Parts: sequence; structure tokens; C-alpha cells
Amino acid sequence: MRYIGRKVALFVITLWGAITLNFLLPRLMPGSPVDAALGRLASSGVPITNAERRAVEVQLGVPHGSLISQYGDYLNSILHFNFGSSYSFPSETVAHTIGKAAPWTLALIGVTTIVAFIIGTLLGVYAGWRRGKTADTTVTLGATFFAAFPPFWLGLLLLFVFAFKFSLFPIKGGYSPGETPSLSPSFLADAVYHSVIPAVTLAITTLSGWVFGMRNNMINTLGEDYVTFAEANGLRTRTVALLYAARNALLPNVTAFGLSLGAVVGGSVLVEGVFSYPGLGNLLYIAVSNHDFPLMQALFLVITVSMLVAIFIVDLIYVRLDPRVRQA
Amino acid sequence: MILSAGATLCLLALSSCGTNPSTGGGSGTLTIQGDAGNPTLVQNFNPFAGSSLHGTFLIYEPLEIPSPIDGSYTPFLATGYKFTDPKTLVYTIRQGVKWSDGKDFSPADVVFTFNLLKKFPALDTKAVWQQITSISASGNDVTMNFSAANVPFAISIAQTPIVPQHLWSSMSDPVKDANTHPVGTGPFMLDSFAPTQYSLKKNTNYWQADKVAPSEVLFPAQASNQSTNQLDVVSGKFDWSYNFLPDVKTTYVNRDPAHNQYWFPPGGTIGLYLNLTKAPFSDVNFRKGLSMSLNRTTIATKAVNGYMDQASMSGLILPNLKKWLDPSLPNQGVVAQDTAGAQTAFAQAGYSMQAGKLVGRNGKQATMTIVMPGNFSDWVAAAKEVVQEVASVGIAATLDLPQYPQYSQGIQAGTFDAAIGGYGGNGDPYTDFSLALSSTFATPVNTPTANNFERFKDPSVDQALTTLASATDTSARTQATYTLEQAPITTTRC
Repeated sequence: MRYIGRKVALFVITLWGAITLNFLLPRLMPGSPVDAALGRLASSGVPITNAERRAVEVQLGVPHGSLISQYGDYLNSILHFNFGSSYSFPSETVAHTIGKAAPWTLALIGVTTIVAFIIGTLLGVYAGWRRGKTADTTVTLGATFFAAFPPFWLGLLLLFVFAFKFSLFPIKGGYSPGETPSLSPSFLADAVYHSVIPAVTLAITTLSGWVFGMRNNMINTLGEDYVTFAEANGLRTRTVALLYAARNALLPNVTAFGLSLGAVVGGSVLVEGVFSYPGLGNLLYIAVSNHDFPLMQALFLVITVSMLVAIFIVDLIYVRLDPRVRQA
Repeated sequence: MILSAGATLCLLALSSCGTNPSTGGGSGTLTIQGDAGNPTLVQNFNPFAGSSLHGTFLIYEPLEIPSPIDGSYTPFLATGYKFTDPKTLVYTIRQGVKWSDGKDFSPADVVFTFNLLKKFPALDTKAVWQQITSISASGNDVTMNFSAANVPFAISIAQTPIVPQHLWSSMSDPVKDANTHPVGTGPFMLDSFAPTQYSLKKNTNYWQADKVAPSEVLFPAQASNQSTNQLDVVSGKFDWSYNFLPDVKTTYVNRDPAHNQYWFPPGGTIGLYLNLTKAPFSDVNFRKGLSMSLNRTTIATKAVNGYMDQASMSGLILPNLKKWLDPSLPNQGVVAQDTAGAQTAFAQAGYSMQAGKLVGRNGKQATMTIVMPGNFSDWVAAAKEVVQEVASVGIAATLDLPQYPQYSQGIQAGTFDAAIGGYGGNGDPYTDFSLALSSTFATPVNTPTANNFERFKDPSVDQALTTLASATDTSARTQATYTLEQAPITTTRC
């Protein structure tokens, strides 16, 4: 219990620190929300005048109070889960804007993270078991090759070849223009069809991390006495590989998996940008480029909190997985 | 936005890049590359909001629409206007127009709209109420009284979208209201809205419905990245679009020469702004030398694959505003590269070439940092060419490429050496010159201004602007414009 109590206290302190940084960092960026809004107008060809500037200031309701009073308002609004309305989408609340984008990111990045983890780990087990053989070399080389691809670049390449040259897949978006998101089978099919290239891009580029981690853990574990003992006892190869070696080698990968699930919420800014995917990563990019403080704060809050929660849960699970932690 | 007298060197005419293939198929549907849907579109048809969707302007109409190309007016809800004196503007309002909900449009709606802007200054993006003191309707006429003579200000009044009194008077907060069920007088009405595309259908009661060909207009959301937009344009997803395409003939036109067409009208002037509050740029001889060191044709070619032309130093966008150009200006005001002349000018400013460096009286080499947004690729390309060209006359120039908000903060505060910027494109010489040259915008360094970033001040130019503002007949306006055209040229050359 003392262990858990300490973890909870640590969680609360870290959370406060993250929330405070979250407030300060956006305000350290040079330029202001008004400049960003005028920049958007200017790039669409509107001549900017002082009047335009004043009107935009009033429209956005940019905060004028001291940092301290803004900080007070900010903490208060977090307690009430009230994030106000954003500068980029003045007619919507921040919570609504995030609520619309979140399912897309959770589905796309969440599913690909899980799939990449499962496939990558299995490949890693296989490569580790056949260490030094052709299979190992092939898997390791292949993983190294794909790990070197920046996801956005691979995305652009796949997009150009499969969506533009051969028109096999849609070129952008999470669903067809004109559709309204719903849970009907035809809409879901449309959404899955749109997610194929982004998902493949993400899966290919994240796969290699799991392969390397698992392979190296396997090789370490295979050197343990109990594995040699199991082999000496004449157990079937598959039993030794999966139930004895892989099960123990999996532990560090599980920790990393927990963390990467926490990171899913942040989305993949570059990949979502390349595919114009209607998710949180794209939203985050908009928020930052518009100096949209309310939206940025809420997004960073969601990201940090889900990360902290993921770490907290991994900590708790570790108590069950590894008895040594309880003494620490 | 300056080309100012001072300092400005016009580099090239900016084109608003448009590609517009003719509507194919005859389906009656016009597909226009729409708003940036990041991550999805938000339904907002409030014509006064900065975040309203583009389709809003096919739903609401203003009194008249001025052409940004040559400043000529096309009448819409007004049939015409006249200044009874330089401070009194009278619009004659069109009869027989109906709102799309069937109610009659009347001059009272016009008066209501302008009073709405007075009540909610956040809606008054053109600062109409800085200029007018009262508005009233009598019969079919709407009269506006100005606080000072300002004939060219009609351009801002004319463009104000007119909204229906019977719906907007009961709106609790017109600043925040997204106006999701727009009712206007324009050619189209909202048909359907989805997060990645909205469509407008033809308003069959429109007062000039016979001139409207498409029965439907589709606005699919843009992609969040420029390369996908370019692929969409090239693969024919849009009938009309607004994009920069590299080498447009090969990448676009040649795919379907019968239908794929483009039009890149000169839509503004891109210039090199020099900070007139800083030495050596405060010295007119130095500016003159710098101006003559540049080869504007090369700069224009390198920046945008030759889509644009070098700009006239007069500050007029040519050929759009040719009717305003003083015929006595040599070479239409385009400054040619003249290295020898540049050396003479630099010498007058106290600079001389020593071992390939332009050294001033203090024994130090002349340097300048040119700032521009790092993602404006054509501006950056132009600036790189400027750096090379001034290096050959011995000036050490470097580029500073921040994000737009930081760039904007710097030029507004006046803390830059030199900056690449755009100016003009209002279609009206007075507005262009006034924003660029009026000393009212020349705030002290560190006090932000939205115009005249160079902080140019010249009483004779201010006088010429005032004269132009109160001129109601063409010959007086032409004379006053000629005077203003001299300003950028003489101050760099005197």
C-alpha cells in the first residue's frame, strides 16, 4: 500500500507540473494569436489594415490580464472541465472540437499501434529464436530498412503511387466528401477504406522498434539457464520459444507498449497532416500555428494526462508482474 | 506595405494564382476548391466573421463589388453611387430584390447593417465607423455622411455585405453567431453541410437569376497539405481552384489543354522593405545604390518560375492600373540594374568598395538581415537572389526565416533591417498609396502598426494623399495620383 500511496502522490505532483508547463509554453512562443489570424487573412489575399487588426482582437477576445490572473482562470477552468471556445473555431467549444477529432485518432493510431506491436513482437521472437540464421538476418535487415523511413515521407510516397498514380485509394481525408460521420455500415466501410494508406504507413514505420526490442530481449533470455534446462529436458521447440523465453522477454516490451498507448492520443502530427486526416494530430498543428491558446492548452492537457495515466497504470501492473518492485 | 518612398524596391508583381478549367460535363455543378478543412469544416456563414466559409459570399451581396484588378465597380444591391460633395456619399438602392426566404429587401436593411457594425465594432473590419458619422435612408437613397473628405473610402463601404434586418435584429450576439441558416440576397442558398464538403443550390428568386449558369456549387474542403491540393488540382477534382503550381504548363495545362486553363493576374506588389529608422537605410543615397544593384527581372524569374513580372517602382500594379500611370515616368517606373550608378550612389552615402566589401565611413562593411516567413517559398527564393545580387556590390546580407506570427510582430514593431513584404492589390491607387505611405501609420519603433512598416514620413506625400482623398472628378484624381507615383521614385533617387 505504501508503494501505491507514493505513486499516487507522485502522479498528482507530476500532473500539476505538466498543467503549469502546459499553460506557460504556448505563451512563450513569439507572435500572438492576432498576428496568426491576420497572417491567415493576409495569405488569402486580404489587405490588412489597423481596423482589421482591432476587429480581430475583439472577435478573438484575446486575454489582456496579467499572467497570474490568466493562470488562475486557467486552473479554475480545468477544474470545471470548461476550456472555453477556441480562436481557430470561434463558434465551437474546445471540448466539442476535440471530441470530433478524438475518435479518428484513437481508431487509426490506436489500432495501428496494437497491430504493429503484435506483429513486431512475433517477428522479434522469431528472429531471436533463429538468431544468426537467414531468417534473423532478413527480419533484422528489413526492420532496419523500414525504420530509416520518416513516416511522413513514406506516407507521401504511398499516397503518390497508390492514391494518385493508380487511384486505388482516396487521396485525402478520413471519409468521402459530403458524408456525415455516423455508425452506419456504409460509413464505417468508407472510413476503413480511407484509413488503409495512413495505417500501412504508420504500421510499417513503427513495426521495427518492436522487432528490435523483442529480438534483443529474446537473445538475452535464451542465454538463461532455465531455457537450456528446458531444451535439455526435450520440450518442444515452440513451447520453449513461446512459453519460456518469449514470456519473460516480453516484460520490457509491455512497458514500452503502455507508454506508446499513452502517446496515441497525441496523434501523429506529420502523418495526419500528409493524409489530411481529421484527427487530433492535425488539430494540434492548427492550434499551434494559430496560437490558439485555449485549444492548445486543452490538447496538451489531454496528451499529458493520458500519458501520465498510462505510466501510472504500467507502474501498478508492474507490482503484479515483478515482485522485486514491491520491495523498492 | 511599402514601397515607399523611401525605400522601397519593387521586386515583382505577385500573381494571385488561379487555375480555372472550364466547367466540364454540363452537369450544372461547379466544384470550387473550398476552405481549408483542418481537421474538418466548421459551419459558419456569418459574413462578418474572420472564420466564415467562402460560400458565404455567394449568399450575401454587398452594395457594389470593386475589382481588385483595376478598381472598377460592378453594382449589386446598389444601382449606383455619387458623392454630392466630398463628405456625402449617396447610394441608390436596387428595387425588386428579395431575400431568399421570400421577404422584400429594402434600403432599411442597408441602414440596419451599417448600424449593426456601429453597435458591434468587432464586426466592423473595414473601420467604416472611423470614417462615417451617420447614415440615413430616404426613398431609394441611402446617404452616408463622412467626418472628413475621403472619396476613395467608398471602396470599403461598397464591399460591406448586407444582412436582413428581420432576422439579424433578433440575434443575441452577431459577433459569435455562426449563422448556420444563412438568408441572403445572393445567387445561391445553402443546400447541405457536411464536415468535409458543403453545397449551395441556385436561388431561383435571385434578381439576376438568368445570369447564373450552375444549379449547384460544391465546396469540398482543402487538404491540410499543399502537395495533396496540387495532386487534387492536377487530377481534375476542382473546376476552379486557387493554388501555386510549379511549372503550370507542364504539370497542369498539358494534361488537358482544351479544358485546363490558368490565370495568374498581378494581384499585388512584393517589395523589399527597408527600415527607414535605421542607418544606413535612412540614407536615401544608400537606398538608391541598393535599388540600382538589383536585377528585378532575374529576381522575378527565380522566385516564381517567371509567372510574374518585375514591378514598377511607382508602386502601381501594372498593367492593371495603367490608366493611372504618369506617362512622363521613364520606362513605366521600372528601375533597371545599374552597377556603376549604384557605386556612385553608395559613394555619396559615404560607402566605398574595399577588397570586395562595401565599407562605410566607420570602417565596417554594410550588412543587412532580410526577414520573411520561412514557408513563403516564392518570397524566400526572391530574397536569396537579392542576397546574391547585393553580395556582388559588397553588402553582407543574411536571411531570417521565422514563422509568420514572429515575422509579423517584427515588421509591425519596426525592429527589422529589411523585410520582404507584399502590398497593394486593392485595385484603387489611393488605398494602396495611403496604406503604404501615410505618416499616420508611421508609429515609433516598438509601437505596432499594421501598415507602412518602413515608417515613411513625408509632409508633401501626406498633402498629396489628402488632395486625392477629396478629389471627386477624374482629372483631379489623376493629377494627385501622378504626384504620389513620383514619391517612391524620387526619394530613392534624389
